[in-house]
Amino acid sequence: MINQEALKELLYKMADDQLILGHRNSEWTGFGPLLEEDIAFSSMAQDKVGQSQALYQLLYDLGESDPDTVAFMRNADQFHNSRLVELPNGEYDFSLVRHFLFDTAEALRFEMLTSSSYPPLAQLATKIKGELRYHTMHANIWIKQLGSATDESVSRLQHSLNELIPYALGIFEPSPHEDQIITEGIFQGEELLKDQWLDAVTQLISKTSLELPDITLINPVFGGRIGEHTMHLQPLLDEMSEVFKIDPTADW
Amino acid sequence: MESLDPRVNRLQLSQRELTSKAPLDQLGTYEVFSQLRDGKPYFHVGPVHAPNREMAFLFAKEQFSRRQTCTGLFVVETRKIMVSRFTEGEDTVYNYIEDSVEAEEGQENSYELFHLKKRGKQHEHIGTIECTSAEEGLSLVKSEFINEKPIYNIWIVKTSDIEFNQEEDKIIWNTLPDKKFREALAYKAADKIKEFKERSL
Repeated sequence: MINQEALKELLYKMADDQLILGHRNSEWTGFGPLLEEDIAFSSMAQDKVGQSQALYQLLYDLGESDPDTVAFMRNADQFHNSRLVELPNGEYDFSLVRHFLFDTAEALRFEMLTSSSYPPLAQLATKIKGELRYHTMHANIWIKQLGSATDESVSRLQHSLNELIPYALGIFEPSPHEDQIITEGIFQGEELLKDQWLDAVTQLISKTSLELPDITLINPVFGGRIGEHTMHLQPLLDEMSEVFKIDPTADW
Repeated sequence: MESLDPRVNRLQLSQRELTSKAPLDQLGTYEVFSQLRDGKPYFHVGPVHAPNREMAFLFAKEQFSRRQTCTGLFVVETRKIMVSRFTEGEDTVYNYIEDSVEAEEGQENSYELFHLKKRGKQHEHIGTIECTSAEEGLSLVKSEFINEKPIYNIWIVKTSDIEFNQEEDKIIWNTLPDKKFREALAYKAADKIKEFKERSL
């Protein structure tokens, strides 16, 4: 019998990460640096929302509220996303670097989850492999391109990288159920994921003129997983749920 | 260079007397070809703007294959496509291809051949030719097509100029099917408007 509390905690933080980043990235729709990229970035944002919906559905099957209620009716302190994903958009370099740092971790996480002891999660992880492959392909190609293009592009990316690395390390904030999650085979754990993520990020960055800050000297920004967020999350939630809250019973 | 996006402030990095001339603030175009099902031919689906082949592929994937099935995609820089004249009616474009063209010095290369079978439709991938030049390639296949249904335009491209998807990346087209919120149709707006009108009568 799988530890339900541990499983739900894992599902909530993954789903919340995707929903919030999906919403943030969708704010670029109509403002992308070129039409083709606008379409690609918006489409990936929709993928993320779709993936979060699939995870909320797994939670619903475990007895939680329905996906729309869970997505739209909670306050910021009930969300378990990392602080990385709620930070407001700046210029495009910021969003690209966040996309790269987050999606690299996300793809590795779901790769590990394809062998989860909780079959519905393992099946979902297999199903979304294709979407995640495109997302990491997109991130890697952009970072490689701009990470060694001009002084301005390199300097912008480097600046965003320095700013975002402490937040990115916050993705791996350990769960209070870390031991059960690992011993029960639900997920191989945040620590192992972080190691794999660091290898992948280091490898890609080494193909560019960028320098990865020494992460052993950096304090990760934790708190998101236990509902402690920045001031930026609540306004995002208010905007995201505005229409839903006018009439939660409306049929879409 | 001033950005058109008011949120973008340019960094002023170079303070030197001489700087390199800025290129036009426009990217070149790449033509995109997609395959709807395994074993079916590739068809031209349209262009994307991109700084290089790799990024053209990236954009082409979302631009041209997010709303329908796709089993393969490739892109080629627009100016790398050699284009024949257009013909009409019963006049096949192969009437204007030389019967024989001398092979050029050097080794043979692969070229990809595309036919326009109907005006206003898309160019279809026909096959690969080993030859030393595009002109020689067309003369080599002329006999095969001259007496067939008329072809109205030909594109021919060196295979090495094409960016194909990697075999292992084909999974990018396996996407979650349950995303009806992406489609306007799923909102059944007409039904809802009708219902609303009836209620307000």
